[in-house]
Amino acid sequence: MSVPAISSCEQEVYNLVSDWNLAATICKKYDCGVSASVCVLTYLAKRERELSLDFSQTARAEVAISLDVAYVLFSAYLVFGPMQLGFTLLCAGAIRSKNSMNVLMKNILDACTCAIGFYLFGYAFSYGHKSHKTSNAFIGDWNFAHSYTTDVSSDPDPVAPGDFPTQGWHAWLFQWSLCAVATTIVSGAVAERCTFGAYLAYSFFISSFVYPVVAHWVWSPDGWLSAFNTGARGGYARILRTGAIDFAGAGVVHMTGGMAALMGAWIIGPRIGRFDASGKVNEMKGHSATLVVMGTLLLWFGYYGFAPGANLTIATMSGAVVVSRVAVNTTLSAATAGLTTLFVRYFQSATWDTVLVCSGCLGGLVSITAGCAVVEPWAAVLCGLGAAVVFISSEYMVLYKMKIDDPVSAVALHLFCGLWGLIFPGLLAKPHYVLGVYGDNGFGTTVKAAGKYGILYGGHGQVLLCQFIEALVICAWVGTMMGAFFYIFKVAKQLRVHVDQELAGLDVTKQVVDQYDGGGSTAPQQPMERAAFGPGATTSAFYSNGDDAGSYGRMRPELGRE
Amino acid sequence: MNILLQTILDAAAAGIMWYCVGFGFAFGQGENPNKFIGDAMFGLARYSTHYTGSGTGRWTDFFFQWAFCATAATIPAGAVAERFNFNAYLGYSMFIAGFVYPVVAHWAWCPQGWLGFATVKPLLDTGYIDFAGSGVIHMTGGLAGLIGAAMVGPRLGRFDADGNPVEMPGHSAILVVLGTVLLWFGWYGFNPTSMLAIDTYAYANVVGRSAVTTTLSGAAGGIACLLGGFIRRRGWDLVGLCNGILCGFVAITACCHVVEPWAAIICGVVAGIWFDFLCWVLLKLKIDDPLSAGPMHFGTGMWGVFFTGLLAKQEYITEAYNRTEDKMYGAFYPHSNGKLLACQIIGILAIIGWVGGTMTIFFGIFKFFGALRIPPEVEEMGLDRSKHGGSAYNGGGMGVSPSAPGNDVMRNQQQPSIKVLPMNG
Repeated sequence: MSVPAISSCEQEVYNLVSDWNLAATICKKYDCGVSASVCVLTYLAKRERELSLDFSQTARAEVAISLDVAYVLFSAYLVFGPMQLGFTLLCAGAIRSKNSMNVLMKNILDACTCAIGFYLFGYAFSYGHKSHKTSNAFIGDWNFAHSYTTDVSSDPDPVAPGDFPTQGWHAWLFQWSLCAVATTIVSGAVAERCTFGAYLAYSFFISSFVYPVVAHWVWSPDGWLSAFNTGARGGYARILRTGAIDFAGAGVVHMTGGMAALMGAWIIGPRIGRFDASGKVNEMKGHSATLVVMGTLLLWFGYYGFAPGANLTIATMSGAVVVSRVAVNTTLSAATAGLTTLFVRYFQSATWDTVLVCSGCLGGLVSITAGCAVVEPWAAVLCGLGAAVVFISSEYMVLYKMKIDDPVSAVALHLFCGLWGLIFPGLLAKPHYVLGVYGDNGFGTTVKAAGKYGILYGGHGQVLLCQFIEALVICAWVGTMMGAFFYIFKVAKQLRVHVDQELAGLDVTKQVVDQYDGGGSTAPQQPMERAAFGPGATTSAFYSNGDDAGSYGRMRPELGRE
Repeated sequence: MNILLQTILDAAAAGIMWYCVGFGFAFGQGENPNKFIGDAMFGLARYSTHYTGSGTGRWTDFFFQWAFCATAATIPAGAVAERFNFNAYLGYSMFIAGFVYPVVAHWAWCPQGWLGFATVKPLLDTGYIDFAGSGVIHMTGGLAGLIGAAMVGPRLGRFDADGNPVEMPGHSAILVVLGTVLLWFGWYGFNPTSMLAIDTYAYANVVGRSAVTTTLSGAAGGIACLLGGFIRRRGWDLVGLCNGILCGFVAITACCHVVEPWAAIICGVVAGIWFDFLCWVLLKLKIDDPLSAGPMHFGTGMWGVFFTGLLAKQEYITEAYNRTEDKMYGAFYPHSNGKLLACQIIGILAIIGWVGGTMTIFFGIFKFFGALRIPPEVEEMGLDRSKHGGSAYNGGGMGVSPSAPGNDVMRNQQQPSIKVLPMNG
């Protein structure tokens, strides 16, 4: 073997740097005829610049990712904290006080069960996919109990972060908070008559299976309805090459919850006394408007995490613009809906109805949820206007025509306003915004050329059709799943509380019912010592209330004897 | 009215004391810093040149640490509620915020401290891990509350002549739920933000993971307490659920950044069970703790600190603290050298000794002068009417009429029932 000749350049440079490979590199790049040391110095200076550029790029990339993480986390806190609290208080205020403690408990509890269910199964079914692979279009199949999140979060490479931005810890927290919203919607619809066990089971079921599947269809990059499913087909989505536009979940969260609420309220049946023998509706007012208003404002506050946070990124200019626009649209829609409801009700009955206005504002929030990123502010105002009309008419239809007792109008609010909200981008999605948020891919051409935007802007209608498809499949899937679920519980007589218990109020202890359960049970049990409000009791939320719940902290054995 | 005033006052008293002396005792590093107590930055003197917790002269550090101090100061309020002398209360909240808590914080969180993990010379070359303060804050506040409750004695009527406990229910479940969910929301600032930074990949990871483990532990604790209550008493207990959730949070506060999600669930479940057990023990010892602040903060805080020594993961420790020494992780992971667990236990004992000693002396002095408890007549009437100028509620109770929307719901139409309902009669 002959040794390659070493040039005088390499030899001199080697004397300086003591590394043959480095010497060869330097000599290839520079002409070392003048002086080897000048060569080496030039090389070193250039290398230093490259490295510091890398470093600052790395640092910038890290800060950008961290900013997004902080933003998503904070949005999740907003969705969970104020929104969950708001809905809890709203439910409590909108029903009779003798059941308020029960509904408070259900609301807190579904946050807990949702966390466990979504952790074990839900997140995997929504977004789980093996690294560098795709899951199937129907359901996710990876990352059960955070097995993959733990993995993906342990390989720090800021410039090539892999799945961390979309599958990291913060992602789970935000998705969980959305799931908690969908789960808790039903608590209001079945309030005052649902058994605790059924509710526990329901919240686990919907958060670990029903909701995640819908989320997978619409939001996972692998989902069949998703506007983000652009990997395989040359850059455009699977359905009509468009995919459904559901930015923060009018369909995924609100229609899912609303449809489940419809199934629940319908199958469980109306509260005793709600409809009299001739089918006339009796009014059953809530016990505290203060709580309803407080809940509404908290929900509105938390919505600023729900809608803008759905962008999942704020660290770029375009991301920041989208987030801000969403916040503006959200505000306008809620405000318009509230005002419209106010005036419509005044026109109907010459009253300024506080509670209805609250619901109106919420309807505005729900309906802008799908299109908040892609409509203009004046369109958001129209959306709110439509939401108010939709809400009032659907509330009337559900109660008077369908004869379904829904104490907090959850069905009208979430299902019907959600439906309106889902349709809305099909009407008024602006082309420029659509391409900004979902990418500039039409039928092998640009969004504008393909008409992939709202029909009132001159679009070709594929967006509208996709929205209809999404609405239809959500109703079908959730309706079937939750219908079957509630029906099974009903058949097993585990869905609804005993008549006596419902009349006494759910806050009074369960022991009352056991003593008089159709005569089938054994001798009346000893009334257990139980606090009205302390470890081990479920009794009234209030010490004294004017309703017919009777006393608390004491057994009411005489109840069944009347 | 009384307890509302006390809790608001805690934040204020903590603010002033923290500024004057507390922050200095906690984080001050003077010319000759020592391991026991800080010695600089009193009244924020020469603030711009001293280390403040994550840098020098950073105002956010003072503010953030104040929030933690106020938390520790307000925990005992629940344990001594309804019968505590207001002067004693004012005194101890200043004492805790100005001296007792800052010393513990110095040990665990100042680089000069003898106990903590991120210190210049950590204990046993390992150090005690307490991320957002299960030990430093919750054990401190909880033990102070427990000692106060034990020394001030139970509320009148709490234990009958045979020594059996008499139930004394609270007056509004809505407020309890409101408080719990607000605490849940706020805990996301307490735990994840204790990383004090998010601008690198590793830190973003730690912050995100802390938020996840916090959530799971709270959820698991709540469900555990709920099911435990159902198994024992065949009823669905709302207060039990809320307490369980908070217990889960207290316990995970020490280790949210270094345990895996499944470990967080275990932490929460055991915290709930342990809490229920301690509540029972307290009743057997005839100690009246109206909010169960002792079992919740002291008991589950202690469990959280201990749990860290069991299931802290090496990789996560490296991410959060940038320390890569071998084998100094949780004892349940294979080949651990157990030093972390030892440090956790030493930390628990040190906190118990310090807080127990100082607060016993402090409350003892007040008790000796008869200034610890309010007179019985005042207690019967209720502190609001006698000391605070009237009830918190218009009309005397939180009675709510079955009002239609649009009516004035705050106008009460009836008087409240008496506050003490003997159960077995």
